[in-house]
Amino acid sequence: MKNWRYIVYAVVIVLAISLPFYTGAYHQHVATTILMFLTLALSWDMLIRAGQLSFGIAGFFGVGGYAAAITYLNWDISPFLSIALGGLAAFVIALVLGFAVLRLRGMYFAITTLALAEIFRVIVRNWSSLTGGPEGMVLPSTIFGGDSAQIYWLLLAIAIATIIVSEVFQRTRIHFALTSIRNNETVAKASGVDIFKYLVLAFAITSAIQGIVGGAYAQIYGFVSPEGSFHLDFTLLPLAMALLGGMYSTPGPVVGGLVLGIVAEYLKLQIPYGHLLVYGVIIVVVILFMPKGIVGTIRERLQRR
Amino acid sequence: MSTLETESLTKRFGGLTALNKVNFELRENEILGIIGPNGAGKTTLINVISGIYLPNSGKVIFDGKDITALPAHIRCRLGIGRTFQLIRPLENLNLLQNIMVGSLFGQGAGLREARKKAEEICEFLGLLQSERDITKLTVLEIKKMEIAHALATKPKILFLDEIMAGLNIDETKEIIEAVRRVRTQGVTICVVEHVMSVIKELTERVIVLDGGEIIAQGPYEEVSNNPRVISAYLGEER
Repeated sequence: MKNWRYIVYAVVIVLAISLPFYTGAYHQHVATTILMFLTLALSWDMLIRAGQLSFGIAGFFGVGGYAAAITYLNWDISPFLSIALGGLAAFVIALVLGFAVLRLRGMYFAITTLALAEIFRVIVRNWSSLTGGPEGMVLPSTIFGGDSAQIYWLLLAIAIATIIVSEVFQRTRIHFALTSIRNNETVAKASGVDIFKYLVLAFAITSAIQGIVGGAYAQIYGFVSPEGSFHLDFTLLPLAMALLGGMYSTPGPVVGGLVLGIVAEYLKLQIPYGHLLVYGVIIVVVILFMPKGIVGTIRERLQRR
Repeated sequence: MSTLETESLTKRFGGLTALNKVNFELRENEILGIIGPNGAGKTTLINVISGIYLPNSGKVIFDGKDITALPAHIRCRLGIGRTFQLIRPLENLNLLQNIMVGSLFGQGAGLREARKKAEEICEFLGLLQSERDITKLTVLEIKKMEIAHALATKPKILFLDEIMAGLNIDETKEIIEAVRRVRTQGVTICVVEHVMSVIKELTERVIVLDGGEIIAQGPYEEVSNNPRVISAYLGEER
């Protein structure tokens, strides 16, 4: 059974890496978008494992995008380095803000992260000398000269790296810390868990991932703008993906991301903007009938057997 | 030599004084009982000592060191372990993993080491099939898990907050036995309990709290004949 599982992993990875060889630019582009949102979904899940619900994905995504664009334009550095700096910027900002924000819990934390994203957007919009103001900034070139296969591989690498980080979260003491914090903070404290340390750590790392994805997005499209880079879609879609797939694990958001990503693309073609309606319906149906998501429900069925 | 003492410990919740200038000490390796009617401040005392609440005034001194301002997780690592009156197992972890949390963070053990220690503690307390889902545990097993969880942090002092509640006579005896065995390992124990027979059998010394104040202390026989205690607490039984 265990060997069988590794064979499946190997096949999936080979198929994923070789995707550009058997598909065209359109499908590569779709796959890139799905990987982007899937990575965001996974990063969001890594924080909810500590019980902290974030609505701030778009905020750190946008910060990463702007940091990548600004450093790339001003410092004559490689696009890859600018993407990494996007992650670093999000990491540092999350680390600093975390000390204040992570004293909040539940809805208070959620609303504050939503507000943070909005504050970032307003700052970016008004700091014209640095950010180009409301018009945003255009990069002189896009990464890989816009080659869709290489762009896809870049995002695949980011997604796989995030999956590895997520598994590190699941297989080390971090898992015990985050789960105990989510279950009962008082018990966690009395068991010696330094709650604040682990929350700040999780917040900073997940924000860094969002910043990296945002940086990659900026480099792929060669463009950042206050409305585009901080769009609420970058928060809502990953959230819906993680809910659909199932929270608190690596496979959940990954499966949810793939399923919802493919469905969304198909629906976009059928009914423009109708896909947003479908997201809403999916979220409601999942919460009502499948609160553990696709992966959680399948696991439960398998265990019962 | 005393391992823990409080100096004039006061804790208020709004207008309610839950603890009023409480001075008490835990002596090395004794089993102390804390009794008192509901709302007397027993659990609040444990919460202030373990760092869940900060007191309004007064000091908590552990091994000669003032720990009043230290956060709960540091106190746990120093050796103050506790169970909770409302048992709160960590739902998304299995039995063994629940106990591992204690040794991982209370002792700073690595994963493998924590696992080994948790298994040893399970064996010590007679907890079988430790990989089980905690929703399938009996009341007795949950109580044992609570104790195991606290033991995994390697406490020097262990507070047991109404650990016998909900257990039948045989189960109570088993836990009493377990607590005695924990003490032989050098742990100082403080039990908060409503069941008088447990206090009588298990403890060497008793503190009676009422309205946030210590109204009597001494051996159980002496305390249970104290008129103030009788009127405050045992009155109805006489």
